[in-house]
Amino acid sequence: MNDSILVIGGGIAGINCALNAAKYGTKVYLVDDTASIGGMMARLDKTFPTNDCSICIEAPQMFDVDNHENIEILTNTEVRKVKKVNGKFKVKLMKRAKYVDEEKCTGCGACVEACPVSIPDEMDGKVGGVRKLVSMPFPQAVPNVVSVDPQCRHGEMRKDGACIGDCVVDCSQCRECPIALCVKACEKEGKKAITLWQANKNLNFEVKSIVVATGITNAKPAGDLLGYDVYENVITNVQFERLMNAGGPTAGEVIRPSDKKHAKKIAWIQCAGRGLAEGRGVPYCSKICCMIAAKQTIITKEHDPSVETTIFYNDLKAYGKGFWGFYQKAVDNGVRYVRARPYEVFEEPESKNLTLQYEDLETGELLKKEVELLVLSTGIIPNTRNKKLAKALKIELDHLGFFKEKDPLISPLETNVDGIYLCGGSMGPIDIAESVVQACAAAMKAVLRN
Amino acid sequence: MSKDVRVGVFVCDCGTNIAGVVNVPEVVEYAKTLDYVVVADEGKWSCSVDYLTKLQGLIKEHDVNRVVVASCTPRTHEPLFKRATKDAGVNPYLLEFVSIREQVSWVHMKEPEIATEKAKDLIKMGVAKATLLEEGQEIKLPVKTDCMVIGGGIAGMNAALHIADQGFNAFIVEKEPQLGGLLNHICFISHDNHKIQSAEILKKKIDEIEAHPNVKVYTSAQIEEVDGYIGNYTVTLSTNGTNRKLDISTIIVATGMKEIEPEGQFEYGNDSRVVTQLQLEKLIGAWNAGHETGNVELHIPNTNLPIKDVAVINCVNSKNESRGCCHVGCHNSVKNAIALKTLNKDIRIHILYRDLSMIKEEGKALEEAKRLGVKFLRFPDDQYPEMKKENGNLKLKVYDILLGKEFEITTDLLVLTTGFTGNDGVDEIKGHLKVSTNSEGFFQESHVKLGPLEFPADGIALCGCAKTPTSFKESCEEGIGAAMRASIPMKNGYIEADGIVADIDLEDCNQCGLCFERCPYNAIQVDDDKQPEVVKALCKGCGLCSADCPKECISIVHYTDEQIIAQVEAALAENSEEKIIGFVCHWCALGGVDMAGVSRLQYPPNARLIRVMCSARVSIKMIQRAFDLGVAGVLVAGCEFPTCHYISGNYAAETRVRRAKRKLAKKGYDPDKLWNVWCSAADGPKFANTMREMVKQFL
Repeated sequence: MNDSILVIGGGIAGINCALNAAKYGTKVYLVDDTASIGGMMARLDKTFPTNDCSICIEAPQMFDVDNHENIEILTNTEVRKVKKVNGKFKVKLMKRAKYVDEEKCTGCGACVEACPVSIPDEMDGKVGGVRKLVSMPFPQAVPNVVSVDPQCRHGEMRKDGACIGDCVVDCSQCRECPIALCVKACEKEGKKAITLWQANKNLNFEVKSIVVATGITNAKPAGDLLGYDVYENVITNVQFERLMNAGGPTAGEVIRPSDKKHAKKIAWIQCAGRGLAEGRGVPYCSKICCMIAAKQTIITKEHDPSVETTIFYNDLKAYGKGFWGFYQKAVDNGVRYVRARPYEVFEEPESKNLTLQYEDLETGELLKKEVELLVLSTGIIPNTRNKKLAKALKIELDHLGFFKEKDPLISPLETNVDGIYLCGGSMGPIDIAESVVQACAAAMKAVLRN
Repeated sequence: MSKDVRVGVFVCDCGTNIAGVVNVPEVVEYAKTLDYVVVADEGKWSCSVDYLTKLQGLIKEHDVNRVVVASCTPRTHEPLFKRATKDAGVNPYLLEFVSIREQVSWVHMKEPEIATEKAKDLIKMGVAKATLLEEGQEIKLPVKTDCMVIGGGIAGMNAALHIADQGFNAFIVEKEPQLGGLLNHICFISHDNHKIQSAEILKKKIDEIEAHPNVKVYTSAQIEEVDGYIGNYTVTLSTNGTNRKLDISTIIVATGMKEIEPEGQFEYGNDSRVVTQLQLEKLIGAWNAGHETGNVELHIPNTNLPIKDVAVINCVNSKNESRGCCHVGCHNSVKNAIALKTLNKDIRIHILYRDLSMIKEEGKALEEAKRLGVKFLRFPDDQYPEMKKENGNLKLKVYDILLGKEFEITTDLLVLTTGFTGNDGVDEIKGHLKVSTNSEGFFQESHVKLGPLEFPADGIALCGCAKTPTSFKESCEEGIGAAMRASIPMKNGYIEADGIVADIDLEDCNQCGLCFERCPYNAIQVDDDKQPEVVKALCKGCGLCSADCPKECISIVHYTDEQIIAQVEAALAENSEEKIIGFVCHWCALGGVDMAGVSRLQYPPNARLIRVMCSARVSIKMIQRAFDLGVAGVLVAGCEFPTCHYISGNYAAETRVRRAKRKLAKKGYDPDKLWNVWCSAADGPKFANTMREMVKQFL
């Protein structure tokens, strides 16, 4: 169907773009390169400035996407090649195998229970989330099916105790594996949904427009920045968000990595690494970190009012509707704001507590502060996959690596290729509401194109 | 009850997920003994295509006209079974879903016998409700293709053009004599430190609007009256004393904002050397005329006072107890400082600020300003600069945090970066459209995160500075996005609503008007005699009106009082003193229940949960019925504050639970046995703990 559109990225921007276009009557292919739609928002605990539960408000939209007859969801799928012919786009995609028959899998989880190997969950990093080699991305995942880690499928996890250790046959040659525990568990349930011989699949279709909604990535602290790589109890704000989340690795308990004890003194360092030399931090203001910190401290205080929370900040960004009131709420709840940028962090060897050294900008004093857990607000960076995608789409990136608009003032959300539009975090740091606005606008432009 | 009721019960094994704990064959045999049940069957995977085909065959074979499916959770699988039921020739509203995986087998894994008994109970409740179910249908309301855009600023113009490009009619209603809004008062706009003359952009847009056959502009126009609802609005406009009527289907609100005059602050209003940012824009525009760049001599207008020193104070009337950040002030102050420096490179400029809120691309403008020699001083939040006049000179005393000392600055021109408020006329429009505003004079969108471009009532979109201050680029995006929101019903030609809606029996109605007042969606309209009518396409079926109606004359399709009470009675028919009735909302509360299931959190099996769409649906009568039957405890569970799928239903439910407690106490029941819990869809542990706690206290 050449009246359809392609939306790349299944986060909150992509979801809203797809839903609007689909409700308008346009056929939408919604592509995400992870196993589920949902994006960053599905990983968050709460949203500022109302402290709405993130997945509670996102899941109904994901459900709508799943059930809309005009939307085809393609997860685990990458855009490989795009060619413009007669004003339309011929797109070539590759759906990486999940080694699961998505039609047959009911998400019951029997295979996950059977899998003997747990590995660290990439998203959770230092806060210790684990997943099995066959796993569901998160309970509300759409599509609600499991996927098998390709490393396991390719026999690379055998040394870690993956179940087909005794098999002498090269997995890739085997049509039906009767040995793997996940396969057995699935068969016991009468489903035969695990299909270890599944191959990557190429998909080709034609669309009239494309919307890029690839989202944001949280910056990793560079190496030993403020002790991140050196000390156990220094984590990022996204990792802290996972700690707060009832669906996260600690079921919502704010416990620190070193001794799994509840942290009673926590500090946030805003603009961590900002403006440092190339590769050592983010050279611009990511605008949402101030509100993330306000949210995290408010929720921490709600969990346990006795926790002492301190935010070291420079310029307060409270730019959106209700944001200033939210900051005031944090202050009223006893969150301490200190204008300073700690320059050094030491670990106390016994307690594994962290001592920060900083200069209070308001008083000019050199001070020290000891905390049990340190959270680095590291800012928002472009998605590393942007480069490859920009090449495939033949559109430009700006000097930072975000997608570039043709002319932000005259033709917002348009790119240098007519028919390819941008929305959400693909262009830079952004909050959820702004993403939704841009998603609606990009959808309008995409469906209107002839 | 009609004699013809024929119930089919279909119980799922879910592989071993259910059948591994619950004795499904026993449950099926039990179901067959229930009144009106003509067939009961077990399915290994009820959601599989093979079983659905079998289920449809059984429906036809046994002439089933009420379907009960006992399996996982309605939150994921109800649509599937609704479709299957419909395809078998049975109205999908005659399906009742019973959750025996999330609510039974996954949470009582170690007590198979008790789990089996609970599953039977839940199915009994489901059948009791099913026998009372009535047919329903999706409701369609025709929507035509005319849209009124209130406000002809950049957001409104973008919205109108995108509406018109689809072939729909857009009527722009502008209160000023010309289009353009705030852009008329701005000299140039900039992004990423690239700048464009506003007049240039404005002219281009107005030309487009004027050339577009589908856009009609009414300037100097006032809205006198708005009548109706989506698809069916009649608007009375007055333009230059004449009235006219517009028949339209949708509305976009793009009324913009205005600068707050800092009357009495820093001598503003008394001294012509003290101006606001917008007034400075006008001056720059005048100075700019005829000069590209260079060494322009600048003077205070109408005087020969030269301008060599300029001071700017940011956050005037912003970031205090009553107002938030103005969002555009920092960038405007820097942008205008660069403009002044471009006019005259020797001008000395000091920007006094609290926080510099310059995000990503705005950072370039900041660097440029610094490069041009603009000086920045940061004053403390609670210590604004002080101004005094000395020998006619304006002198500012400011404490700079960063250098830790106090400065005295003499200035020839003082620019105040003040906050913004909603435009004049917001209150009238608010009244006409029955929408809300916040304390800062801006319209309140339907959801801060996920509904930024519309009001709760269908058919009215919102964009640009009418909602909160936005930059030029953001206003453009909002206008286009709002056009999308308004276009969907116009493109489809109708809006369709789920058949779960309110229905008013006017026989008992005493025209009290409460339902009209309480409805969060303006879905109940009253005529001149206060006779209410439900506009079914607008009704979301939350049931708030029904539970509040003093005459009990509003029923909700699929969730009538009789149906819910039948579930209560079925649940409490035996051993009521051991049971806890839980009314759970479909969204977050049931989400929490499901989460407890998915997480295999084990809790006591005493709960008998009854699903309602919103906790606001639960009436005092329902709660009292449970107490009359000797229940151990009652739980009302809804979404965590402030989240509510129906805007504020959980708040209404909380108030009602308080009233119910008083009423229970009067009747001699222990009001402490009525609990409420507000949980998020991730709050499995909270729900499980509540159950444990209730059982501990009451049993």
